[in-house]
Amino acid sequence: MHPVLIELKGITKRFPGVVANDYIDLTVLRGEIHAIVGENGAGKSTLMRILYGLYQPDEGSIEVNGSPVVIDSPRKALQLGIGMVHQHFMLIPRFTVAENVILGSEPAGALGRLRRKEAEQRVRELCRQYGFALDPAAEVSMLSVGEQQRVEIIKVLYRGADVLILDEPTAVLVPQEVDELFANLRRLREQGKTIIFISHMLDEVLEISDRITVLRRGRVVGTVPAAGTTKSQLAEMMVGRPVLLELEHPPVTPGEVRLEAREVTVAGRGGRPVVSRLSLAVRAGEIYGIAGVEGNGQTELVEALVGLRPVTSGRILIEGHDVANASARAIRLLGAAHIPEDRHRRGLVLPMAVWENVVLGHHSRPQFLDGAFVDRKAIESFANERVEKFDIRLSNIDVPALALSGGNQQKVIVAREFSFNPKVLIAAQPTRGLDIGATEFVERQLLEARSNGMAVLLISANLEEVLSLSDRIGVMCSGELVAEFRRGEATPQELGLYMTGTRRAGATSP
Amino acid sequence: MKWRLLVLQIATPILAIVFGVVIASIIVLAIGRNPLDVFGVLLRFGLLRADSLLSILFKATPLIFAGLAVALSFRAALWNIGVEGQYYIGAFCAAYVGFGIKGLPVAVHLPLAVLAAGLGGMLWALVPILLKLRRGAHEVITTIMMNYIAAAVILYLIADVFRDPSQIGTPRVRTPEFPGSARVPSMGPLLGLLGLTGPDANKVNWLLIFGLVLCVLFTVLLSRTRFGYEVRAVAFNPQAAEAAGIPNARIQFLMFMLSGGVAGLAGLSDVLGFFGYLDIDFPKGLGFLGISIALLAKNNPLGVVLAALLFGFLDRGALGVQFFARVPKEVIVILQALIILAIVVAYELVTRYIRMQRKREAERPATAPAAAAEAGH
Repeated sequence: MHPVLIELKGITKRFPGVVANDYIDLTVLRGEIHAIVGENGAGKSTLMRILYGLYQPDEGSIEVNGSPVVIDSPRKALQLGIGMVHQHFMLIPRFTVAENVILGSEPAGALGRLRRKEAEQRVRELCRQYGFALDPAAEVSMLSVGEQQRVEIIKVLYRGADVLILDEPTAVLVPQEVDELFANLRRLREQGKTIIFISHMLDEVLEISDRITVLRRGRVVGTVPAAGTTKSQLAEMMVGRPVLLELEHPPVTPGEVRLEAREVTVAGRGGRPVVSRLSLAVRAGEIYGIAGVEGNGQTELVEALVGLRPVTSGRILIEGHDVANASARAIRLLGAAHIPEDRHRRGLVLPMAVWENVVLGHHSRPQFLDGAFVDRKAIESFANERVEKFDIRLSNIDVPALALSGGNQQKVIVAREFSFNPKVLIAAQPTRGLDIGATEFVERQLLEARSNGMAVLLISANLEEVLSLSDRIGVMCSGELVAEFRRGEATPQELGLYMTGTRRAGATSP
Repeated sequence: MKWRLLVLQIATPILAIVFGVVIASIIVLAIGRNPLDVFGVLLRFGLLRADSLLSILFKATPLIFAGLAVALSFRAALWNIGVEGQYYIGAFCAAYVGFGIKGLPVAVHLPLAVLAAGLGGMLWALVPILLKLRRGAHEVITTIMMNYIAAAVILYLIADVFRDPSQIGTPRVRTPEFPGSARVPSMGPLLGLLGLTGPDANKVNWLLIFGLVLCVLFTVLLSRTRFGYEVRAVAFNPQAAEAAGIPNARIQFLMFMLSGGVAGLAGLSDVLGFFGYLDIDFPKGLGFLGISIALLAKNNPLGVVLAALLFGFLDRGALGVQFFARVPKEVIVILQALIILAIVVAYELVTRYIRMQRKREAERPATAPAAAAEAGH
């Protein structure tokens, strides 16, 4: 058997205006876990889509097992033993595990009768063979995210894949689930499977993979063995310059309480509480981080705090003013800034120009108005100043916000929300989807705000971020604050136990 | 690159019209006529005769109001399909003030009648917008329903309540005539100074100028003021506007009221400017033409003026085509609709192309400084 399983030679893929893959060479050895890392837009996904037959390369060739192949569809990729586990699961919640696994290649008997027993049996065998803890008869809607991911992997194995491409598999998992995933991947490797692992989480990549290929701007920067490579070396390869991975967290003496929630309950769809009797207090000069698996009430809590969702009971105080059920405008006027979790939905009016977006919500300040008219000159000079200060990269401030990259769009929002000396900042998923450079920038801004005495409430699905930035950490699970820690008190594993509801503490009482 | 886009943008309407003409030519060929003849007559009759030009101005006047009304609602991401009913009610309110009050000077009576028309339109727009903002009823459904009610209400009012008693026994069903103080003066005398006389010159009235002024005012309001800024934010992304503290509901309410108010004026050119009474057969369908005009104008108030003139031209030119090129009237209606449809489609395609090019343009320099910074390291 050939030791080289897949060889990509000179793969080039152009899209209008960009070269997504620029003459990429990649060698994947049989039985290795090969990580592909790079920032957003580095070309990782494009390359994998080419390998899985979703895109055709403009130039270059692919060899599998030493012979040249043309992969023009996912079906062809599967025939060659290449399968993909997508980042977003494609499962039918009301079907059982076995039904989901066989979907699309169902074993059929006479007259097209579905051989359910046989299917379940085969899925059970696969789980046993690879040591996956999964009940083939369980309904998928009852499974945790980690278990659903296992179903996706089994689906690919069921179709006979020898090579598994995993696209950002850890993005949706809590630490315990990541550990389990890695154990499963190692078992797969022992049984001779080859794994291509796409990620931008450097710690994970170093932990799981044998070799790492770094992409930057569509090109291969290099392929290195994981053993003997450090995180900062990888980061530098990715970004093209040295990156400070651990931001300085200087001691700041917290001041008075600026933002306080007292026994806040928020109703979701159908009146069921999605946030129940939640209490927390954020002081000036403090970052209070909320950790939790997404969908445990964080979104609703933030919306209630900023006046976008009614509060059923409880009080919300900003500098002592009760703002429960006040309007978004009133809360903004009290000095609360808000970085929304979904910048396209809540943060920007995409078709409007950058200069218009930079003042959204502040547009009615007297300095931007000339009577009833918009003082465009004043806004433009303000916008230009913000663009410079926050290093927003654009050709001019007249371009619509939708023309900017995700990182620059986020910078527009950050630049806006940091204006006019807010007292309280509510930052929901502020670095979601940003690359290392932009993430570092936003995190640095949050720390600077803290040093300047702002009270910051940080809600993030990225546990590492919460741990590295926060002075105190609250864990949300099922709409409740189940635990509260000081900086350095809890490990990611411990937080994970609270996040999944495995453990609870009476930490909600003040 | 930038120049190319600018040229393309200016050429868009022209390209759109050419496309429309090509499509219409196929129909003309299909009925066995020569498209060159037909379009030749359309252009010569429609544009080279003074009386045609004046007629176009007269036909365009109500269309400007109707188109502007629809465009205003579209600008706030609302679908006012009720302009039709709103101008019925507006026309009746103006007529009521017209024949109901006597002895006022023009300076009071006429503005009062116009105001009444605007308020009538607003009244008819009030129900759908309240139902939408309070109860979530979609305004497309409710405004269409309000159209039916308006049609029945004014028929009842004209035929059964306010019918001109002197006309009883004749087939004419209409309100009493208004005194001169409630009539919109003709621009005939002014046009006469330019050497333009005749019945078509007398038909053109000052509401044309009023409509143009409104279009300019709304252009300024929507593009330059704080209100206009908030309208744009609400229309493009209500959720982001809400998060920014902009009162969505109030903005939508105000814009819908403005739309209804302008809609109420659409019938005035005919009622106060031409007939001098409200007849049961007064011109109908302006509200629906207004939708086409707003679409064609891309909701731009100044574009509304151009689109209304185009409609006036097609209408007038059709008359010539019918007489001189001997094309049946029904075919002309089909041609009109096709030209408009083709223009809308072509416009959309070119706009999309421009948008795509723009996006590419904006992204390129956005990444260029980053690459430069990197090279510096």
